[in-house]
Amino acid sequence: MSQDMLMLLVEGLGETFYMVTVSSLVSALFGIPLGVVLVVTGKGHIKENLVFNQTLGAIVNAARSTPFIILMVAIIPFTRIIVGTSIGTNAAIVPLSIAAIPFLARVVESAIKEVDAGLIEAAQSMGASTGQIILKVLIPESMPSIVLGFTLTVISLIGYSAMAGAIGGGGLGDLAIRYGYQRFRADVMLATVVILIAMVQIVQSSGDYFAHRLNKR
Amino acid sequence: MIMLTELQKVYQGESGPVKALDNVSLEIEQGEIFGIIGKSGAGKSTLIRCINLLERPTAGRVLVDGQDMITLSEGELREARKRMGMIFQHFNLLSARTVLENVAFPLELAGVSRSEREKKVEPLLELVGLTDKRDVYPAQLSGGQKQRVGIARALASEPKVLLCDEATSALDPQTTESILALLKDINNKLGLTIVLITHEMHVIKAICDKVAVIEGGQLVEIGKVFDVFTNPQSATAQDFIKAVVNNKVPDTLAKLLSEVPIVGGNLVMRLSFFGEATNEPFIAGLIRRFAVDVNIISGNIDHLQDIPYGTLLIELSGKDEDIQNALRYMQDLDLRTEVIGYVARHAHVAG
Repeated sequence: MSQDMLMLLVEGLGETFYMVTVSSLVSALFGIPLGVVLVVTGKGHIKENLVFNQTLGAIVNAARSTPFIILMVAIIPFTRIIVGTSIGTNAAIVPLSIAAIPFLARVVESAIKEVDAGLIEAAQSMGASTGQIILKVLIPESMPSIVLGFTLTVISLIGYSAMAGAIGGGGLGDLAIRYGYQRFRADVMLATVVILIAMVQIVQSSGDYFAHRLNKR
Repeated sequence: MIMLTELQKVYQGESGPVKALDNVSLEIEQGEIFGIIGKSGAGKSTLIRCINLLERPTAGRVLVDGQDMITLSEGELREARKRMGMIFQHFNLLSARTVLENVAFPLELAGVSRSEREKKVEPLLELVGLTDKRDVYPAQLSGGQKQRVGIARALASEPKVLLCDEATSALDPQTTESILALLKDINNKLGLTIVLITHEMHVIKAICDKVAVIEGGQLVEIGKVFDVFTNPQSATAQDFIKAVVNNKVPDTLAKLLSEVPIVGGNLVMRLSFFGEATNEPFIAGLIRRFAVDVNIISGNIDHLQDIPYGTLLIELSGKDEDIQNALRYMQDLDLRTEVIGYVARHAHVAG
């Protein structure tokens, strides 16, 4: 493999890393609170509001059932408003985040639902407010599961980011299509696949490690 | 300290409304250990949760330390709850926090600074005997140790009332003993009012001053533990007491009993005595005074609230006239006597 090719791979890796990191952070920023809201407004929970809960649930489901490749194209006007362009890595971050937020929200929701109702009752008996119950009981107690769910989200984002190449998003996926597929460069194809596999492995292992460290049960 | 007036709690069940509490009124005094006993589903969990309003009653009044709980705003209710501690059957400790952090939790909720928290938690850990476990996570503790953490946590905010929700039901008998002893100790040392619910009469017997018996959401009996034990009025209370006081007529004897006197037969009777009466050698007196033989079938002497309390199941044999005289003598004494029945002489060999 030539020096140029290597440079392209490093550049692609950097772009993928950038897209995945930023969209992961954005999805955590919105997805975790959204997951919390989905739980606490649910039936019998501390801030029950069924109409709101079901409406929010329907929106989350709608976003999740739209295939990523379609979502990416469909929200182009929105992407333009946010980042001012519809091509490039920055533009790709918008649909990546939009796709990951509801996914992470559902994962966080199921993680928090695992928290024993007795713990909430105990906190209430000590005079905890809703905010304190969320921040000091629900989230810390479900942290290991949330970390694993976040890991899953990051891995999905690595996969989705490869598709972002389709709207000129750059990254390893873009490289694999332009060189590996369209120019029959099997070595490039192989290299991108190997790098992607390694990335997923590293993310999964770190996720498992942190989840294990956090789990005191 | 706590006054519940005409409490009602109705749940909307799948097949119509379910009455969990039906017109329950009771008063719990400052410094008392008050037990509420009932079978599962009797409404005792709902009742204890109505005190700190984890369950809001459908109707009725809840007064705690002179404060009408039901009219409080959300914020005021949170403040009121901080003056009540609660412990649970399944401990409900936060798994992601160490023992120290768990005990400090109520203080953290109240906005007490970290250094101040540690200062307050240390003596509590000492009180419950867990000083060496302060940095351990709950998963590494035994059930009894977890409940000790629960107790220390409940005491952290210096409450006036401690609510115990089946606090010993998930523990083995020895651990139960030690937790009950700890509760009694806390009651003595801190003058804390303790309300506990249980389905086990021995818990009531071990530490409570007063007991309320509930069944089907209704209060069926209430009184001093000693009175309820020695003279239970309701069938439910009698059932519970049978579990801890063994004065049953043995089956082999019960089969031979006749309710009407048998000429030349023996009299079987149960005697209950307490306080001073336990010190008197009245059986010896009985034999000396009357020409009767006394056969003790079963008996036990125990202490309730430090008052000796005993029951004896005895069989009297002799001439019919002597037996009747002996019976009248005993009925005049400070004893509770209950004629169980008559058996034909030699029909039964008491073991």
